[in-house]
Amino acid sequence: MKVDICECVEEMRLSFIRPISCCAVSSPATSLKPQTPLFLRPPTFKTTISDLKKWHLWAKSLASSVGSTFLELDNGPDSDLLLRELNWLVEDAVETPKLFLQQPHKDYHDNSSVSIRASLEDLYMLWKQRVEERRPFQYVVGCEHWRDLVLSVQEGVLIPRPETELIVDLVDDAIKENEELREGLWADLGTGSGALAIGIARILGTSGRVVATDLSPVATAVASYNVQRYDLEEKVYVKQGSWFEPLRDDEGEFVGLVSNPPYIPSKDIDGLQAEVGRHEPRLALDGGASGVNDLIHLCDGAVSLLKPGGFFAFETNGDEQSKSLVHYIETKKQGSFSKVKMVPDFAGIQRFITGFRGR
Amino acid sequence: MVRSVFKSFLYLPKTITNISILTHPISIPSTYPTPRIYRPVVKKIQQIGSLFSVPVGELGSLFSAKYSINASSNGNGSVDTGLGGRDYLLMSDEELMRQCEMSTFKASGPGGQHRNKRESAVRLKHNPTGIVAQAVEDRSQHMNRASALSRLRVLLALKVRNNIDLDTYTPPQELLQILPAKSTIRVSKCGPQIGPNNPKFALGMQALLDLLFAVEGSVSDAAKKLGLSTGALSRLLLSDDNLRMAVNEFRKSKGIKPLK
Ligand SMILES: C[S@@+](CC[C@H](N)C(=O)[O-])C[C@H]1O[C@@H](n2cnc3c(N)ncnc32)[C@H](O)[C@@H]1O
Repeated sequence: MKVDICECVEEMRLSFIRPISCCAVSSPATSLKPQTPLFLRPPTFKTTISDLKKWHLWAKSLASSVGSTFLELDNGPDSDLLLRELNWLVEDAVETPKLFLQQPHKDYHDNSSVSIRASLEDLYMLWKQRVEERRPFQYVVGCEHWRDLVLSVQEGVLIPRPETELIVDLVDDAIKENEELREGLWADLGTGSGALAIGIARILGTSGRVVATDLSPVATAVASYNVQRYDLEEKVYVKQGSWFEPLRDDEGEFVGLVSNPPYIPSKDIDGLQAEVGRHEPRLALDGGASGVNDLIHLCDGAVSLLKPGGFFAFETNGDEQSKSLVHYIETKKQGSFSKVKMVPDFAGIQRFITGFRGR
Repeated sequence: MVRSVFKSFLYLPKTITNISILTHPISIPSTYPTPRIYRPVVKKIQQIGSLFSVPVGELGSLFSAKYSINASSNGNGSVDTGLGGRDYLLMSDEELMRQCEMSTFKASGPGGQHRNKRESAVRLKHNPTGIVAQAVEDRSQHMNRASALSRLRVLLALKVRNNIDLDTYTPPQELLQILPAKSTIRVSKCGPQIGPNNPKFALGMQALLDLLFAVEGSVSDAAKKLGLSTGALSRLLLSDDNLRMAVNEFRKSKGIKPLK
C-alpha cells in the first residue's frame, strides 16, 4: 500500500480522534488500518488567528493549572513539560506554526485565516485528553520523534523511548568493526513501531536486511506503515508472530539480533506513570514476575538464531536485570557467546547487554 | 510524495558515534526545588559569562534555545588552549564528539519503559576548552545532540582565538567566502557569499574575529585588510547576532563604543 494522504482523510479523521472515555484503559484498535500522524494530514481546516489564539490561551492555562501535581502523584509531566508539548502540538497542527507563535506579525491580523490539520473542535478535545486523561502526547499527535526519524504511533503500540535510540549506535559500532555485519540479515524482535528495525536498516549496506517481528497485529500494521514511509519495503520485512517463531526457516542465518522486550516486573505495572500504565499496551511492558521472562527467552533463542560472530543487543530494566542476564549467559550458556557486557544509557543506568555469538 | 512531506530538518548528514558516556547520574544542584526534573542550567562566569541565543535551523528561532558558556578565560575574554580554534572547527562531527562529554538531564529514576517524558535535553562539554553547549528544544535526543554539536561549533568560533601575524596577514579562504562580493580582495573562485545558515559560516566567522582581535577591535583597520569599506564590514558584523555580540563585547573590553 502506498500512502495516499488525500484519499483517506475522512476515515483517518474519524479513527484518529478517540472520544473521551471515563474508562482509563485504552481499547485496542479494532481496525488495523494505521492512523496518519497529525503532521502528515492535509491542512484542510480553516480558522481565524483570533480563534486559534483563544484555543492556545485556554490550552496554556490548562497546562499551567497542572503545576507539579502529576509530578508528585506518579512522576508525570509538570506544567513546563506540558507547555513544551503544546508548542509541538501547534507545530504539528498549524500549517504556519512559526507565524502563529511569533505573533504579532505585520501581515497577520487577528481575523486572518489560518489553515490547520484538525478542526479547532478536535484541537480542544485533543488537549483535554492530553491533560485530563493523561493521554500520552505522542498518541495525541500520532507520532514520536526518535533519532532522526518521525515514527507514527497510536494506541496499541509502545512509544519508542529515548534510551532505545542508543541501540542503533551500538549496532553501528559493531558494524564498523566487522563490515560483514553490514551486508547480512538482522532481526528486531518485538519491533513495536518498527523503530529499531528502521534505524538499523538505514545504516546497513545494499544487501543488508532486517526481519522485524511482533505478536501484536496493531504493532505490525504500524511498523509496516513506518517502513513504507521511509521507503524501506525492500530492506525490512515485518512478520507477525511470537519472538523467534516467524524466523524458524532462517535459523542460523542471522548476523545480528536486537530486542527491547517487555521487562517491567508485573508488580510494578500498577504504579507506573499514568501515561504509560493507563495508555500503553501491557503486552509491551509486562515482563512477568521478575521482568526477565522474555529476556531469558531471547538469550536462549539467540544461540541457534545467530551465525558465529553474530552480534546481539538487548535493552533491560537496568542494573539488576543486566547483571543477572550476564550471569545467566556466563553460567547457563557457557561457551555460546563472547565479549558479553553491560552498556550504560545516558543516565548511567546499565541499560543494555551486548555480545557476540562464539565462533 | 511520501518523502516530500518529511520535515527537512529531520535529516542528519551523519550518525554521531563514540560518545563518552557518563557512568553516573547527573547531579543537579540542590537549590532547585524539584531536583528530579530538568531545569536549564545557566551559569554566568567571569567576563565571558554572557548568554547567547543562537538560531539553529528553523526550530532554534522558534523555541528559544539557550545554552551556557563555562570556560576558563584568559584576560581578554577568549579561551586559551594548545590547539587553535580552527583545528577544532575543521574536525568532523565524530572527532569533535570524541572530545566531548555528553550528558542528559534525565531524572535518575528507572527510565526506559517506565517513563514517558520528552526530556531529551542534551548537554555537551568540550573537554579541551570547557565550553558547554546544550539543546532542549528538539523532540528527540538524537536531534538535540546534533543541535548541541552545531551550537558547540558556533561557540568554538566565538570563543577560541587563533593568533595571527598582521604583517604577513592574508585572509584565509573561509573568511573570503563570507565577505560580500564587493570586497576588492575577493576573487571569483570564492563562489557566492556564504551566510550564517551555512555550516561553513562558523569557520569564516572565527577567522573574522581573529582579525578583529588582532587589530584591537578597530573595524576600519580590519576593513582595510579585507578590501572593504568600513561601512560594508560593519554591516557584515551586524548581520549575525552572535558575531555582533562577540564583537561588541570585545570592543567594550577595549573601551570602544559598540557597533549599532
Ligand atoms: C517494549 S516494546 C518495544 C517496542 C519497540 N521495539 C521499541 O523499542 O520501541 C516490546 C514489544 O514486544 C512485543 N511483544 C510482546 N510479547 C511478544 C511476543 N511473544 N512475541 C513478539 N513480540 C512480543 C510487544 O507487542 C511490543 O511491541
